[in-house]
Formats: sequence, C-alpha cells, structure tokens
Amino acid sequence: MEFISRLVQYIIENYSELLSLSIEHLLMVAYGIGLALIVGVPLGIIAAKFEKLAPVIISLTNILQLIPSLAMLAILMLYLGFGFETIVVGLFLYSLLPIVKNTYVGIKEVDDSIIEAGVGNGMTTLQLLLKIQFPLSIPFLLAGVRLAAVIAISVATLGPYVGAGGLGKEIISGISLQSDVKIYAGTIIATLMAIIADILLGKIEGKTKRRLA
Amino acid sequence: MEFLSEYLTYWSEDYSSILDYMYEHILISFTVIILAVAISVPLAIYMTKMKSNKIKGLIFNIANVFQTIPTIAMLAIMIPLMGIGFRPAVVALLLYSLLPLLRNTYSGMESVSSEIVEAAKGMGFSTFQRLFKVELPVAFPYVMSGIRVTAVYIISWTTLAALIGAGGLGDLVLAGIGYNDQYMIFTGTILAIVIAVSLDLVLGRIEKIVKRA
Amino acid sequence: MNIKNFLVVSLVALMFLITACGNDSSADGGEVFTASAAKNTDSKINVQILKSLVEDQTSHEVEIVEDLPASAQIFAGIDREEFDFANLFSGEVYNNYFDDVEYSTNPEKTLKQAQKFFGEEYDIKWYDPVGFINNYSIAVNRDFAEKNNVENLTQLEEFADEMVLGTDNAWIERDNDGYKGFQETYGYKFSEARGMDVALMYEGIANGDLDVVTAYTVDPQLKEYDLKVLKDDKHFFPPYEASLVARNSVIEEYPEIDDIVESTVGLISTEEMTDLIYEVDIEKRSIKEVSEEFLKEKGMLD
Repeated sequence: MEFISRLVQYIIENYSELLSLSIEHLLMVAYGIGLALIVGVPLGIIAAKFEKLAPVIISLTNILQLIPSLAMLAILMLYLGFGFETIVVGLFLYSLLPIVKNTYVGIKEVDDSIIEAGVGNGMTTLQLLLKIQFPLSIPFLLAGVRLAAVIAISVATLGPYVGAGGLGKEIISGISLQSDVKIYAGTIIATLMAIIADILLGKIEGKTKRRLA
Repeated sequence: MEFLSEYLTYWSEDYSSILDYMYEHILISFTVIILAVAISVPLAIYMTKMKSNKIKGLIFNIANVFQTIPTIAMLAIMIPLMGIGFRPAVVALLLYSLLPLLRNTYSGMESVSSEIVEAAKGMGFSTFQRLFKVELPVAFPYVMSGIRVTAVYIISWTTLAALIGAGGLGDLVLAGIGYNDQYMIFTGTILAIVIAVSLDLVLGRIEKIVKRA
Repeated sequence: MNIKNFLVVSLVALMFLITACGNDSSADGGEVFTASAAKNTDSKINVQILKSLVEDQTSHEVEIVEDLPASAQIFAGIDREEFDFANLFSGEVYNNYFDDVEYSTNPEKTLKQAQKFFGEEYDIKWYDPVGFINNYSIAVNRDFAEKNNVENLTQLEEFADEMVLGTDNAWIERDNDGYKGFQETYGYKFSEARGMDVALMYEGIANGDLDVVTAYTVDPQLKEYDLKVLKDDKHFFPPYEASLVARNSVIEEYPEIDDIVESTVGLISTEEMTDLIYEVDIEKRSIKEVSEEFLKEKGMLD
C-alpha cells in the first residue's frame, strides 16, 4: 500500500513531464505506423495482385519482424543517427508485417461472387480494386493496425537506447537508478496506452465490419 | 571480400561461445513455448466449456494486459520478484505468450459447428471422446497457427532476456553494442532469425503430417 | 474512421516529421548545442555540469542526450555532427576502434593514445581528465572477503570455482580488458559468468544470485551493499579516466566554450564523484540539482 501511495504521489508530482513523455511516445508510434501504412498497404495490394511476388514480400517483412529490437535499433543508429527519426524508422519496420499481411489476406478474402458481380457490371481491374476489394478488406487492415500499435507502443519504450525520448525514459532511467516508482510509472502509462489503443482500434474495426455486413 | 574473411575468422575463433549462446537461447525459448502450450491450450478448451462469460472476459483481459506490458519493463519488474537469470526470463516471456495461444485455441474450438457436436452426441460419444475425436481435430489448424506465431515472437523477444542475466543470443547482441563489434550484433541477430525460421518450418511440417493422419 | 482519413493523418504526420528537424537557436539568441552521455550516472553528471556552466556563462544552450547504449553510438553521433560534446573514458581507446593502438594499463599512456587516436579520427578535442577514474574492478561481499581473508584478485583464485560472476554483457566478450584477458592474466575463471544490465548486478549480489561482480570504481552501490573491491594486484584493468570531448569546429567558432570546458579539468575527484552519484542513485535526487549544488560549493556557479 505504501508503495502505491508513493507511486501515485510521484505521478502527481511529475505529471507534466510524464504527459510530455507520453505525447512523445504516441507521436513516435503514430509516425511509425503512419509510414507503415503508406508503404505497407500498396505492398499488400501488390502481393495480392501478383501472386508470384507474394511469398517474397511476405517473407521479407516477416524477417524484419524477427530482428531483435535492441539489435535493430543499435544498427539503425549507426547509420541514421540518434533520436526521433531512428526510432520512427524502427517502429515502421516492425509495423510493416501486420499491415502488409492483413492487407494481402483482406483482399484475398473478398468473396469471388462479389468480384464476379463487379466484373459483370463492366468494372475495370482498377475499379474492382478501389471500389470493391480494398474497401471490403479494411476490417482486416484495421486488425493489422491494431496489432502493430500494441507492438509499436512496446518497442518504443526502447527509445532512450537510441537517444529518443518517450516513456522508455522513465523505465530505463528507473532501471539504472534502481527506482521502482519510476519503472512502474513508465510501465503503467505505456501499458494503459497500449490497452486504450487496442480497445479503440478494436471498436473501429468492429464498426467497419458491421457496416460492411 | 575482406569483410567475409574477417567474419569467418571471427566465427572460427569464437564458434564455441557462439554455439553456447545459441544453446541458451534455444533452451529459454523452447521452455517458454512448451510451458505456454501446456498452460494455454487446456485453459482455452476449458474456457469454451465455461458458462460464465464474465470469467472468460476476465481471463482474456488479463492475458491482454500482459501482452501490452513493454518487454523491457516486464523484465525490470521481474527482478525484485524473482531475482535474475533463467527463471524470471522464462516467466516474463511466458506471460507474453498466453494471449495469442488462448485466443487461437478458443476461436478454433468455437469454430466447431454445433451440428457436428450434436451429431457426435447422437452417436453416443462421451464428452472426452467428442473433445479428442471431433472438436480438437477441427480446432487443430487454429491452435497450430497460434503456436507458430507465438513461437516466432518468443524467439525474437528472448534476446532481451540477456538484460537480466539469462544469457542467450541477446548476450551477443548487447556485447556487440558495448564492445563496438558489429559482427557480434549481426551474428546474434542472424542466428535468432535462423532459429525462428527453422522452428516455423518444422512446425509447418508437423501440421501437415498431423492433418494427413 | 476510414482509410482515407488514415492516410491523411499519416501524411500530415510525415510533414510534421520533416519540418520538426532543423536547428533552433536559444532563447537569448545563442546556439543550441548537444551533449551526449551513456547510461552511467557519472557521465550524466559530467555533461550536466558542462550544461550548467555553459548556460550560466554564455547565451548558448546545451541539450543533453543521455542513456545511449555505448560509446560507438556516441562516436557515430559525433561523426555525423549531431553531438557537439560528450563524456568519454580514456580506456575506450582499447574498445575495438583501432588496430594499431598499443594496449597498456598505464593511465598517462592510455590518455595520450585516446587523445591522439580519437582526436584524429573524429576531429575532436579530448580534454585532460575531469579528475575521477571509473575503472572496472572486481568486488565481492565484504563479509566473505573478511571471513576468508581475501584482499586481492590472486587470493580469490581458491574460491573462484564455486562463485558466480555477474557482469555487463560486453565484458565477457572483450578481448584485452575483458574476461578472456582476465583469465590469461590471473589464470583462473569463475564457475559461471553471466552478462546483464549493470544496474541489476547489485541486486543480484544482494539477493545471493551472484557472488562476484565487475563493479565500476565510482559506484556508490559498493557502499550501499557493503561490497569490497579486491585489489588488482597484477594490474590487469586498464584505466578509465573521464574526459569531456568537443568537436574542434565548435570550439574554434566559440572559443569561450573551450575555456569553460578547460575549467572542468581536474574538477572532480573519484571520492567526490562517488558522493555525487550516491546522492542521485541512492538518495534519488535529480542530476541537475546535485550537479549545480556541487558547482556552487566549488564557487563556479552562484
């Protein structure tokens, strides 16, 4: 109990700093996922349209996912420099797989009969893609974004190792100062952030699903 | 070419310690995977038989919270509770692997259509016979895909176990970062990827063989 | 929210990202410099002292980037002109950077080599030491040392095969000054050597998971956990003397900063640094507060 009151006191006393770390954390994640969407959605579509390329694209993004986060960041830092951009690139690389894969699966899952209907109505391939296949695959894409968000929020806590800020600052300086309060403060906020992101994106995913159904 | 010959020298000098790290890595990650399957699969099966949705929701939510705790923070929190080394690393990684396995097994079991279950009942199957002869075979692909996804992640996350003295390939990555040696970082990363990819191939094989049987 | 909104949001984010880069000037019209430090508290205190002095005496500002994993990342930043200043240790010169450096445990020779090799390679000025030494050392529980009459590392040999060593992940793999070199010099090894985050070593020895740790000589945890540093009777560990470094182009353009950094030479003794770290790590006070209090005591800050 004593620990909890110390923790609460710490959070209250430092709330403005914690808030700015949280915002920084969110921004890193948002940029990372934003970039992953810009690059990943087209890649997913390409994979779905050109079946031969699919295994190449999917396994490459798969391998990115497997690189241990510490190693990825340490290496990125040697080439990209320290700070915000480096962690954003790291998060971008980690978020690619769920987004590419889910876009791909989503487009593949579109019912053949719907496509036939589209073809019957004289739609071109591009029209089919933009008006039918892609919109119908959005719930899948959102599921991918949801997974990517939870992972990115977690990986972003390694930010201080590459000179970026975010909630990892609390956790990592808590580890080196052996301050449980700091570790827990950083962890609880990051965890809450991940849970909220998960719930919110889950809600949006549910809504798009219902709308389509 | 110089790079390659230097790199080969590094291997020939250090191969025994590299193999030790690899062995530790496999030991930690496989222990986690086996324990995770042993806990999550029966639990998920039991949950499908549960009446109370509240308890089910609670279990899923707890597993979900574990999933969202940043890895570095999870390891830091484990230390005051369990000390350093193999045990806290295994427990921390185990907590991460619960959700994907629970979720997949659960949805696999739910995907068994009630007509089949009723038919089995009509044939006079006992609950256990139904489980092993009807429900589990149908749910098997779901369970397997849960195991495969989780296994790959666990192998990647195990690199962070080196931060709490559990060893593994993370030792090599962190040593490379501290000792300014990119060969070490590179080797640790590549070997983690090799373990993950080979395990995924083996699991894929097993899945096929079981399906045929 | 549909996918269009998503794309718009991420595009806007990307534009922010691009515009967010770029150097700002300080509130009083001076420059904003960047100083970097690794994870250890002594490095952080050192760059904070630099920051406090520069901001007190000039119109410039110093931004601190800390918790970097290791010296390689700091040098990479210096090379890319992202870091203008840093806190570094002379012994780093043996850390796999140069092929023709000559290994030595002599402090002066080590410093000379660091100044020469790093100075030329990265176009930096490696100042004379701030005054404290933060060597690797081997520490055990004081009770154990007293009961068994162990004073130095040679005497530890007869117990080593039953002891578990905790160290940072890099020490196990270092060539000259790491575990391999240690085994060559002293001729023994421990039953097990485990790498981990340095901050955790002390918890490990406190709760009995570990018997020996590679401590840093300024660590206040040596006091806190009642550990004894064993004498390095075969002079194995290389000296790690802390120095501030600055990019040459920066101090050429701003000679007033060169003077300020020079004023920190010899400023902090090993004992003083241990006390400062104690205030931060054990008493949980802020680095800024502790550093500025120290500067006031020394009469360098009002």
